Amino acid sequence: MSQRVSIRSTAKMKELMGFYYMMAKAAENDPNQKIAWITSGGPVEILHAGGVIPIYPENVAAMAGTLKISDEICAIAEEQGFSRDLCSYARTDIGSALSGKGPIMGTASPKPDFLVCCNNICGTVTKWYEELQRIFNVPLIFIDAPFQYGIKDRPEAIDYMEAQLRRMIDQVGEITGNPISWDKFMETLDLADRAVKLWREIQDLLQHKPAPMNSFDTFIHLAPIVTLRGTQGCIEYYETLKAEMLERIEQGIGTLEKEEYRLGWDNLAIWYKIKFLSERFSQHNAALVVSTYTRSFCYQAEDRDISNPLRAMSADYLAGYINHGLDFRERELYQMVKDFSLDGLVMHSNRSCRAYSFGQYELARTMEDKYGVPVLLIEADQNDTRMWSDEQVGNRIDAFMERVASKRNKNIA
Amino acid sequence: MSSDLRELIQPFAKVHEDLYYFAKKAKQEGEKVAGFLCTYSPQELFHAGGYFPVRVIGEEGGTPLADQWLQPYACSFAKGVLNLGLTGDFSFLDLVVFSHTCDTMQNLAEVWRRRVEGTPIIVVSTPNLNAGEIALTYLKRELTRVKEEVERISGNKITEERLLESMKLYEQHRNNMNRLYQLRQANPSLMTGTEMFTVVLSSFLMKKEEHNKLLENLIKELENISPQELKKPRILVGGSVCQAQGFIQSIESAGVVVSDDDLCMGSRSYVLPSMHQGEPIDMLAQMYLSRIPCPAFHKPGYDPAESYLEKVKNGHIDGVIFLQTKFCDPYAFNYPYLRKRLEQEGIPSLLLEVEQNQPVPEAFRTRVEAFVETLNK
Repeated sequence: MSQRVSIRSTAKMKELMGFYYMMAKAAENDPNQKIAWITSGGPVEILHAGGVIPIYPENVAAMAGTLKISDEICAIAEEQGFSRDLCSYARTDIGSALSGKGPIMGTASPKPDFLVCCNNICGTVTKWYEELQRIFNVPLIFIDAPFQYGIKDRPEAIDYMEAQLRRMIDQVGEITGNPISWDKFMETLDLADRAVKLWREIQDLLQHKPAPMNSFDTFIHLAPIVTLRGTQGCIEYYETLKAEMLERIEQGIGTLEKEEYRLGWDNLAIWYKIKFLSERFSQHNAALVVSTYTRSFCYQAEDRDISNPLRAMSADYLAGYINHGLDFRERELYQMVKDFSLDGLVMHSNRSCRAYSFGQYELARTMEDKYGVPVLLIEADQNDTRMWSDEQVGNRIDAFMERVASKRNKNIA
Repeated sequence: MSSDLRELIQPFAKVHEDLYYFAKKAKQEGEKVAGFLCTYSPQELFHAGGYFPVRVIGEEGGTPLADQWLQPYACSFAKGVLNLGLTGDFSFLDLVVFSHTCDTMQNLAEVWRRRVEGTPIIVVSTPNLNAGEIALTYLKRELTRVKEEVERISGNKITEERLLESMKLYEQHRNNMNRLYQLRQANPSLMTGTEMFTVVLSSFLMKKEEHNKLLENLIKELENISPQELKKPRILVGGSVCQAQGFIQSIESAGVVVSDDDLCMGSRSYVLPSMHQGEPIDMLAQMYLSRIPCPAFHKPGYDPAESYLEKVKNGHIDGVIFLQTKFCDPYAFNYPYLRKRLEQEGIPSLLLEVEQNQPVPEAFRTRVEAFVETLNK
């Protein structure tokens, strides 16, 4: 089996995130420090500008998944009547909120002073946050980001977002008692913008052969861009990571001894099986070098008006991969195939995520038929281990890699 | 029930022979038919554009074609309608209208657009934020866009006058349906829930002009019947199931009467405020935002238990049965809270998971019977 050269920056990220969680925990007992729970696609810049500590139930749920304690916490929500068919992140988080059990030093996240829910990632968060509002009895700021069916985003939807974000700036100021100054907000947007650009650059460095890290690494290094977007610490971290990646490229360090095949990933990670998947693909000398999931945190609208940062921000928050219809997604996937020289795509058909997953069968067929890209569909769940089988998935990966290899050989011949 | 009444209900029952009996008949007579997948599509606009709007519903049976495009964890409604789209059974439709409610509907519209050939589609991007000026402004612009789309596809200009006429017709229909619901709430012995749901189902599948006439005759007759004491327990059903009739029949065979509902293809479609004077698109937008919100939407300050508790109180309901379509997330998320609130009021409830494309399973009835026994009335 191939040997991996570990990424030094990981230690720095653990330090950064550890410090952040410590601050968040301490804030729980500090009446002057407000805490907000927010969705991963939510406009966190406004919270940072307002001095509010953001907590991401999705991150926390993923941590529980990685630590393999999510099944147990989900069961707590299920006992209260939440169907097992519901999103496993939502069940993990609700179970954690109800029981106080969680992945941060064994406890649940610090309690929120208010909630921010933006539905640009799915409609599930709408329901999930309504439940959190009932549990904690705190204000809920809801940002409705209309799904964009066409390739070009609609101006009326951008206007709608802009009006909602403008209102949110006022609402956050009212809750904290300190109105957010426009200068501070602009400064935060600039920091966020720089971090987003860095995160995109880092991922684009994986176009290099061999890729200096793989998608399983990017799943891990995603935490700061999600959580700390709009802070100086986030930029510093990604500058370090970028420098390390450039160094690895310089030295020809990849993630496999021999990178023979390059694959793309679609949908959320399967948190409790990262190691298994990484090893199985490595056995075939296949590296996962790009994913629609980690790229979702650096989408910027195509025709953003940079002279009007709030307007640009409003457009950006509509612009993500999963807030778009299938023509957009097809275009993105094919672009990934070209930019990253992919030999195939792995699509995680994620039982928890209807928003991300419905349409994958259609996209898979299109990628195969129209572009000749082999696609592997893995039926699984981001956090719920109860339907996973190592053997079954392993066999499917082996068969898929045979298909990829035989296509390569045909192309060479 | 008297034979007179039975005769009055008969014409509605045509939909049991063929859901699209009326649509196909209209089509044969040269009219255009628009199929809509959700009660949030502004039917008034499509009516004013010269279409006969009918609700698209799946049918009983497997969905082998849809299974190729949607995962096993997609709801039976999405699969059912997509399957009929793919088999060509919906080819009598001149237009298909989707509304953005849940994640499944949003992607279903996309799969449909790319795989079902022939019929033009329109997606109404309803705001998922269901209150306030900001949402209203957005919805007005969206409805204006939809109006222009309908004009472009149909070739018919939707004048203000025409739209107001359609809105008036729909309002009259809502008033009639509300009246029927009120009569039955006060006097559930008037007709069974099964009969009621024949009327309800047909209300989404018949022309409003025709349905209004039949309704008004029925209401006149019912208004003359004096209340009888009803010894059976009264049940309220809630959920997202579209064709509730089979389930209701099965529930009633356990010795209860389904006297009210909180179904989206039921009373919730008809609880809407009256229109006031104003610009039609504005009135339409305000009206849709004042509905009891679909569970997929967020309405700040709205408590989903409210409408349940109100109906329970006003209709002297003895128990609630949730008809929970499997994989219908918005409803499933509301359930634990609703159950708790009902429990606090001393109202027992039962959750039954259903598939919309399958016949009522034997286990369903067994569980209803066990539940009814606990109601001790």
